[in-house]
Amino acid sequence: MAVADLLRLLDTNPVFRARCVHRQVSVPEPPHYGSLDAPLSPALESYLDQCGIRLYSHQCETINHARAGQNVILTTATASGKTLAFNLPVFCHLEQDPDARALYLYPTKALANDQLLSLEQMAQYTGITARVAVYDGDTPQSKRAAIREHSRVIISNPHEIHHVLSWHAKWQPFLSNLDYIVIDEAHRYRGVFGSHIAFVIRRLLRLCRHYGARPQFILSTATLANPVEFAHALTGQECVLVDTDGAPHGRRNFVLFNPFYNGISERSVHQETKDILVSCVKENLQTLCFTGSRKMAELVTVWSRDDARRISQKLADAISVYRAGYLPEERRVIERQLKEGTRKGVVSTNALELGIDVGSLDAVIISGYPGTMMSTRQQAGRAGRKGGESLALLVAQADPLDQYFMHHPEQFFSRPHELAIIDTGNPYIVSGHLICAAAELPLREDRDSAFFGEPLSCLLPDLGAAGLLRKTIRGWVYAGRGRAADVVRLDGVPGESFRVMCHGRLLETMDRGQAYREAHKGAIMLHQGETYVVNEMDLDTHTIRVTETDVDYYTQPQKEIDISIIGTLETRTVNNTPCFFGEVEVTEQYTGYKIKRGDTIIGLEPLTLPPLTFRTKAFWFIPQESVELTVTKCGGDLGGGLHGVEHATIALMPLYVMCDRWDIGGLSSPSFGEKGEPVVFVYDGYEGGIGLAEKAFGLLPELFTAAHELVRDCRCESGCPSCIYSPKCGNDNQPLDKDATVRILRELSHGPEEADHAPIAAGKSEVQAA
Amino acid sequence: MSVVPAPSRIGALWQQRMQSMREYSIVRDGNAFEAGFSDSVIFSSEYDRARVFLDTLLDRYAGVTFDTVFRGREITNEGGTCFSLESRQEYSFLPLDSEQLRTRLLGDLTLVHGIGPAIQKRLNARGYHSIPDLLEHPCFRQQAKTVLSCITGGDSSSIMDLAGSRHSRSHPSVLGAATLHEPEDFVFLDIETLGLFSRPIILFGIGVIERGHLIVHQYLLRDIAEEQAALIATMDHVSGDRPALVTFNGKSFDFPYLMDRLAYYGLGYPATIPHFDVLHFSRRRWKGQFPSLRLAALEREILNVIREDDVPGQMVPEFYESYLRSGNSGPLVPIVEHNRQDVVSLARLFTYLLEVAHGGS
Repeated sequence: MAVADLLRLLDTNPVFRARCVHRQVSVPEPPHYGSLDAPLSPALESYLDQCGIRLYSHQCETINHARAGQNVILTTATASGKTLAFNLPVFCHLEQDPDARALYLYPTKALANDQLLSLEQMAQYTGITARVAVYDGDTPQSKRAAIREHSRVIISNPHEIHHVLSWHAKWQPFLSNLDYIVIDEAHRYRGVFGSHIAFVIRRLLRLCRHYGARPQFILSTATLANPVEFAHALTGQECVLVDTDGAPHGRRNFVLFNPFYNGISERSVHQETKDILVSCVKENLQTLCFTGSRKMAELVTVWSRDDARRISQKLADAISVYRAGYLPEERRVIERQLKEGTRKGVVSTNALELGIDVGSLDAVIISGYPGTMMSTRQQAGRAGRKGGESLALLVAQADPLDQYFMHHPEQFFSRPHELAIIDTGNPYIVSGHLICAAAELPLREDRDSAFFGEPLSCLLPDLGAAGLLRKTIRGWVYAGRGRAADVVRLDGVPGESFRVMCHGRLLETMDRGQAYREAHKGAIMLHQGETYVVNEMDLDTHTIRVTETDVDYYTQPQKEIDISIIGTLETRTVNNTPCFFGEVEVTEQYTGYKIKRGDTIIGLEPLTLPPLTFRTKAFWFIPQESVELTVTKCGGDLGGGLHGVEHATIALMPLYVMCDRWDIGGLSSPSFGEKGEPVVFVYDGYEGGIGLAEKAFGLLPELFTAAHELVRDCRCESGCPSCIYSPKCGNDNQPLDKDATVRILRELSHGPEEADHAPIAAGKSEVQAA
Repeated sequence: MSVVPAPSRIGALWQQRMQSMREYSIVRDGNAFEAGFSDSVIFSSEYDRARVFLDTLLDRYAGVTFDTVFRGREITNEGGTCFSLESRQEYSFLPLDSEQLRTRLLGDLTLVHGIGPAIQKRLNARGYHSIPDLLEHPCFRQQAKTVLSCITGGDSSSIMDLAGSRHSRSHPSVLGAATLHEPEDFVFLDIETLGLFSRPIILFGIGVIERGHLIVHQYLLRDIAEEQAALIATMDHVSGDRPALVTFNGKSFDFPYLMDRLAYYGLGYPATIPHFDVLHFSRRRWKGQFPSLRLAALEREILNVIREDDVPGQMVPEFYESYLRSGNSGPLVPIVEHNRQDVVSLARLFTYLLEVAHGGS
């Protein structure tokens, strides 16, 4: 009953009590078992018997759909037995068809290796010949041919597939019998990366068709608002959704903890996190604590150990950090100690949420909203062992999204509304994969538009004119200079790339936009946790030279943005405000950078860089004259108000469209264009657009409402990092007018009306969910 | 909803990215250390010379039609059309003595699985001197029978497999398997491509021996669209009775590349063909004697061939692209000559190695 003790502590300790702004309790759920349409083979049945497994309803549903020949997307909680749900139908098929093959795609090598073990074990138990193997960059050359020829289950990652597809002739035995493609952790393939992977999968399917195979998909993802749409975008196939979780769970408590409950915080978020962690460990709860950065993880650990040492050295030793740089053996020790119970508290960064194999624990502390509800749910899902009571606790930072949830818990616990975006229409991404596809098999407009869609016929002649493709009687043939798959990188939208060199060694490559932003001359640049200073940026050779440094200041670039509208694609009116979606040309001009220590500016340097121009997709809206009047009547600053609206809208976009606020850009102006109208633009920060603004355009009413609530309910006087300050603002958060922002947002979300006297809603609530 | 913005920028953007990709690197002259590591480096003076040469060619052949530059003919098959060039020269090929090979094989006890040099020594001491002798041996009897039937009845492929798997791919007995062929069986192959992998083959060079002549057939792509026809024409040469492929580094490069291009167009594979890779035999024979074992170096050292106006192999793609872009046939001239010379040198080097080791007396 240790969790209950801690909850009591949170309730009685005055410091904690004030900060716990909400507690959500979900009652225990017994297991829901299911039934199969047709029995499994004796080998698989006895495997389940031996392991003492009875199948939950979602596992049965997945198996039934898969065996009926349907593509399935499974979205159930962490540790609900997803792996078994897709391994069973695959093995069932391998047993029935001795030629059949299956491909498993995992986003990381670590996950691939974990899966290798569980598949091998299954093959061994059941006696079904699978010859499971991992095929990735680490696979020795000498083993590759045998794996291609003989393995019936190959585990790989999308990067590897991208590169091997051009060797398809060697993969013929595998591809021509490929019946199942399993994509685990599919939610990782979203945004720019996901859009690339969607085309890697289409290229794979195109080759399968060439060799006469039509594989079926089983996908698993974390919770998304649009799983079916997402699965379709990723694979190009219709998928059936399985989302009712049959796995049991105990009583779950989710606490929203706000150090900024009264508008200010005397202590840092890390200190508050440390206090809770120590309290948990003292109550003998096995606790996992997630932090936003490596440094924070280290600090929280050191402080927690110092605190715990006052009680006993043993307690202090029970707390440790879990680093990305750990050797596998070191990780295994921590994992084992957690399972044995000798280790009580582990602090890790968000990035490790997947690589850690510690099973389930009593409590999870999430220090700072990790950016998506999806990650939050996954991290919180670690709490809850063997049907016991569990606790998850989110410590809010002074960020708009964190504070929005603290003030609107109902939003936090409602159905998921984050859309995972894949854009198969970005011509920059499509064109890269057309080049790759043409290097794999001649491209034909008639046959291949099924894979590459409408852009195919517009892009082929253009790629032909550039000499990359040649038209032949067999179709378009690749004739470029480099190896196609080497030219197309899966993690970005193609642009000119800059090389960052340190003492003649290549550190990384970045596109022009990122280079201007983060690696201009004089910039303090971070790379894998190390600090570098940029000595030189050579625009002709696209080379940036850096050296290691150890400084206590950082730099922040200043930029001016200009936008011109190329064409409007859609128009809508939201609460009397005309809103538009379309194509724009963005010009960013970096003018200088600030040198800052903490919040203090210690220097200002000019920059002379050529302007950066790109075409992308944007939405924009034109607040009406009535708004202007309301603002000016109260003596407000229209420009500062619009700027605040821009920041608040961008800050809350990740609530609806899964993205990072750094993926989006914005511009506001009190008098834009020839007509001099006030306008706010929000655009995708990628050449060609990546579908973010497009999706958000469809959700503008919700977005405006949330932004209004955010700013209205923030307790600050005139704007703060929790509402309208933006860490990426190129104008140093000037001008900003909070009062005007609220007035404009009010009208955007409610339509024109007389003065609003909504009370500030920031009380405490406790909800008992069924 | 999908609007393609400024399409012309996209092609240009990719083109720019490609331009920065080279499959070779340029090193300072005399940097033999770096050059020694890989075929994909080029000395800067050689690079500069080739760039100047390219400009000269574009100048010299400006306005000259393709047909004036190349005297060949257009051929047509089910893959379409391509351009065929032919050249011949007198060529003598000493009669090959296959008996010498059989004697050598029969005396090589280590061809039997389980017998290494040490055991062979012991067996010799106990009176087992040949494979037939082993038919009496209590342990090796069965194995020896298989090996013997391969030596007496097997074709060149099975003998190459046997000797290659028991020794190495460059073993004299592997080369010796060539003596089981008539000179007319050999197909000397060398291809010129647009890159190291998965791009079109732009020129196919095939050498065959006919009545005391070495005839070099070349199939040249006037446009990428002609690759399929050229592939089919090339494969016709290896569809004879008992063809044997001869290449320089073809086991790693030319042959897999050819197979890959056939698969790319959905064309069938030929059955297994015996394949003599002269690079392997050259390495065994001359390793350490010459600074480089590239074909160009060996022909200079062994055959006294000095090339003039040559295009460095790594720069063939650039020369060909320049032809595609400009329509000027000039850049093709050294490519065609380079390939022809490669085929001729390949044939001569192969003959040289064979005659030294297995020539009839």
